[in-house]
Amino acid sequence: MKTRVITVLLLKEQGLVKTIRFKEPTYVGDPINTIRIFNEKEVDEIVLLDIGATPAGAEPNYRMIQDIAGEAFMPVGYGGGITSFEQAKRIFETGIEKVVLNAAMFDNQALIERLVGVYGAQAVVACLDIKKNLFGRYELFSHGGKRKRPVGLDDHLAALRQLNVGEVIVNSMDRDGTMSGYDLALLRHVTERIDAPVVACGGAATVDDFKQAVDVGASAVAAGSMFVFRGKHRAVLISYPERKTLTQLLP
Amino acid sequence: MALITDAWMPDGRKRPYRMCVRCVMDTTDPHISFDEAGVCSHCRNFETDFRPHWKPTLEGWAEFESKLAEIKAYGKGKEYDCIIGLSGGVDSSYLATKAVEWGLRPLVVHVDAGWNSELAVKNIEQIVTKLGLDLVTHVVDWEAMKELQLAFLRSDVANQDIPQDHAFFAALYNYAIKADIRYVINGTNFATESILPQGWGYDAMDARHIVAIHKQFGKKPLRNFPLISLFNYYFYFPKIRRMEIVSPLNFIPYSKQEAIYHLEKGYGWRYYGGKHYESRWTRFYQSYYLPQKFGYDKRKAHLASLIVTDQMTREEALAELEKPLVTDNELAEDKAFIAKKLGITEAELDEFIHRPPRHYKDYPTNERQLKWALRAYAVVSRAGRLIGIGKPR
Repeated sequence: MKTRVITVLLLKEQGLVKTIRFKEPTYVGDPINTIRIFNEKEVDEIVLLDIGATPAGAEPNYRMIQDIAGEAFMPVGYGGGITSFEQAKRIFETGIEKVVLNAAMFDNQALIERLVGVYGAQAVVACLDIKKNLFGRYELFSHGGKRKRPVGLDDHLAALRQLNVGEVIVNSMDRDGTMSGYDLALLRHVTERIDAPVVACGGAATVDDFKQAVDVGASAVAAGSMFVFRGKHRAVLISYPERKTLTQLLP
Repeated sequence: MALITDAWMPDGRKRPYRMCVRCVMDTTDPHISFDEAGVCSHCRNFETDFRPHWKPTLEGWAEFESKLAEIKAYGKGKEYDCIIGLSGGVDSSYLATKAVEWGLRPLVVHVDAGWNSELAVKNIEQIVTKLGLDLVTHVVDWEAMKELQLAFLRSDVANQDIPQDHAFFAALYNYAIKADIRYVINGTNFATESILPQGWGYDAMDARHIVAIHKQFGKKPLRNFPLISLFNYYFYFPKIRRMEIVSPLNFIPYSKQEAIYHLEKGYGWRYYGGKHYESRWTRFYQSYYLPQKFGYDKRKAHLASLIVTDQMTREEALAELEKPLVTDNELAEDKAFIAKKLGITEAELDEFIHRPPRHYKDYPTNERQLKWALRAYAVVSRAGRLIGIGKPR
């Protein structure tokens, strides 16, 4: 199976949370135990996003990242609060395989170029937080959805092509935490315009959603709620689809 | 690994080693006594205190059926008629399957104290999915849990499971009251857990003890930790809110082996290898902290419980006790994980184990208040019935 099925975990201060449309964070527990359970479930990859760092102008929490990197058997991408090469370097030194950047893709393209130059494209991931406006146009956001970016989606995708990033996470803010399926039109729009692998994110509820994302060109699928919540009361319970189910359904 | 024969005695005296001739309890329990025949006080207490209440018989079932009818009548027009606390362990998992079989409509509540093993969450997933039950999880704030566990480690008392156990029950009962569901069904059972020496650890339900230990050894205020006060636990919840805790496994024949077989065969459930080992903390605590620091091997109590209820022979239990509590690999892995999770070094964790033990009576408890309250309560409930509070007979 070449399609990676990624678990997205959101870090807020010391704990993990899960949001709905980037709001209403629900506490889901302690990162170390959660990662340990995901290890035993043999997940393909983890993306850990500190959703409090950039909005607060804070540095990444290196100690937490170190603990998590040391606990995880699978590749881990980290995002949140990275504004300098030194910070990224420290994160790589903890054993993290990829850095995930959103705001810096707009504000500090020299940093992106340097990171790609030093660590290789595969270690640099762009995350796009995208929301539809009232007129149905896609708009880009950073700082945990708080800062609207005056750049059009297509222009930004062109810039990412230039920067040669290794991967693009397409994160639909409208679908985040809703478990109502991915925004397939948005995914198709992006996969048609960029060669880098695209990771679908925001809205997954079932393995069927994974399949649909792959059918519109996504190379990998990511989910948060689907792997931490269960049932109508959104009870916190870590789960991951059976490997058999995934290999039957996904390329 | 041989049998542990030497344990810490709160009064420092040394007793010659002796084991009960019927079960496997021994002088590592500071309060054990033996009759002329060599049978221990736990065996005797089982006959006098437990057996009369343990009714895996037709008569017991008839009694329980009327309780079932009562629960179902209460649940008419409600989405759920009871709550079941599910840990992913044998007892609670088995109980969930039986509850559905009996036609109850439980809401399943899981309390996550931060130590769930993958096996535990997978078991919970299998049980609720296969039974089609709704689940609610109370995730205990890990920062609070960690703060309290460290305070307990610094206090050097035997029962290091108090923070976790208290959180389990307090969160469950508080939730039942909040959700206004009167019946809480639990997997407590005499069949597999009737013997547990009080000398091996103090009661987890005493909030005063918890708050006192935290006050003395904590470093930060204890926020968001689920506590249940003596008043709520013994009076307000059961008498005013009429919350009722029902333990059905005491009214049916219950065998641990059969339960495991039933769960593995029918529900894709998996066993995790020891009583309460569904929690990573409990595994470490029972297999290392307690035996190392105090000389208490909880397996003796679990096995003794199985012996007095005829689920195991004494020979089988003795053979079981000869096995190591934990392998070196497991222990190394557990220690590294637990130290990391508690935010301390492995050396600090070892230090907690090597320091001299302390007795729980060195710290404030509610023991006296509780005795007094229960006596007073007997008077009040008699008076209460006259004014219509509490349960009608």
